[in-house]
Amino acid sequence: MQQAERDDLGVLPVEGVSQLTSDHLVSFRGVSRSFGRRRARRVVLRGVNLGVDAGTATWIGGGNGAGKTTLLRIAAGILAPDSGRVTIDGTTTDQSWREFHRRVGFLSAGDRGLYARLSVRGHLEYWATLAFVPRRIRNQVVDDGLAKFGLTELTDRRADRLSQGQRQRLRLALTVVHDPKVLLLDEPRNSLDAEGLAMLGAAVGEVLARHGAVIWCSPPGEPEAVEFDQKLMLVEGKVHPA
Amino acid sequence: MRLVLDYLQAVIATVKRDARLYLSYRLRFVAQLLGGLLTLTVFFYVAKLVRPDAVGRHASYYAFLVVGILVLTLVESALNLSALVRMELVAGNFERILVSPFGPIGGVMAMAVFPIVYAILLSGITLLLAAVIYGVPIHIGSVPAAVAIAALGGAAFAALGVVFVAALIAFKSSTGPVWVIAGLGLLGGIYFPAALFPGWIRWASDVQPLTPTVDLLRHLLVGTPSGESPWLEFVKLIGFVVALMPLSGVVLSQAVKLSRRHGTIMEY
Repeated sequence: MQQAERDDLGVLPVEGVSQLTSDHLVSFRGVSRSFGRRRARRVVLRGVNLGVDAGTATWIGGGNGAGKTTLLRIAAGILAPDSGRVTIDGTTTDQSWREFHRRVGFLSAGDRGLYARLSVRGHLEYWATLAFVPRRIRNQVVDDGLAKFGLTELTDRRADRLSQGQRQRLRLALTVVHDPKVLLLDEPRNSLDAEGLAMLGAAVGEVLARHGAVIWCSPPGEPEAVEFDQKLMLVEGKVHPA
Repeated sequence: MRLVLDYLQAVIATVKRDARLYLSYRLRFVAQLLGGLLTLTVFFYVAKLVRPDAVGRHASYYAFLVVGILVLTLVESALNLSALVRMELVAGNFERILVSPFGPIGGVMAMAVFPIVYAILLSGITLLLAAVIYGVPIHIGSVPAAVAIAALGGAAFAALGVVFVAALIAFKSSTGPVWVIAGLGLLGGIYFPAALFPGWIRWASDVQPLTPTVDLLRHLLVGTPSGESPWLEFVKLIGFVVALMPLSGVVLSQAVKLSRRHGTIMEY
């Protein structure tokens, strides 16, 4: 692409980080976010520019409170940026909430987001329907989700009777139940054993194989569960090469 | 068409989820039914203190009261939607609804359905008990029409419930329903006819959906004379539903936008 074309598209080069063009599957353009008002105002993200290509996995590290979760929440449409915007596969939440979220699978940090008294299968059926998985393939999708994360034996078990690792497997299964094009993962290793990590790696591989993209946020120092194409650090509200 | 089907299936899935969660507490239904029976018994004796024709010739005050109390149960179920959404926020499930293609507006509105359907079912059974045990004269032939009116009333109250959810999401405040339920109970003529109010406050019983709902249900189920023409009450009720439903959706949508911008959407 010629420089003039890039300028027209608002290409924002960032040193050491893949340059932002209109070709990226995920793009953050000048994303800033602060919390609080006046003296209590805390700037978390300062004009983040980042492009993630189809078929690639990006790791974003940073210390506690660096803004990783805020960045992912903005990418998932949970929070609105103060300025800038996030585009996923050419769509934004303002253009179409439905189409944007059909493309996105978001896993929040921690172990929340499950109904204590609902079965494993009940969870998958429910979220598959809310993700508009067509009825004719829904049962198959649910069965596949159970198998992919080793939950078949636990299909009728209530969520409050699962171990932490099993809960995390279920949360991962819910995140990918609609075959999202983009996976946004916030500390996804939480409580997973080696088998669970391998399942997570396989799920990431599936997304990449169908030319999707993965953004994985976690603190630095964790052993890598997948091979990343791009490794970045979030420091003082900006992304830098790791 | 596909779009409508997708949304309809998501609503049904939410109702199924709520039913499964409800049924996982096996004694809850029995406990609620017994509670209803106790209320019926208390008011059976209270009603004996009131002149039998206090609510119109050939009308029973006890029957008037029973239908009123059951409608108030429906109102409570719909207005307590914000308490349900708060539980979703606390459990982290609201975040998942937010990032689903169904979205927060559809998700919240779908969550209103099960409590209303359940309240109608429980009220029907309680009314049957009132008929069998305390001789409340039910017009069986009018039951299907009464169910339709209860559903319409439920939709109007649910719209008010959605507005309280919007207040919860935008301002983290969920105390409103308690005041509104008490106020509606008073102004809507649950315990006594609204016509007993002094003229300067009587208008308040005409500008909310409880009055036409309870008047119509009393008229259909136990033959209490309606305050106005039943058809006029019906049109009023439809008007409330048509006006309040889209308005509540817009208010909720603005609340979601505001709290996404303020960064407080996941707080509770």
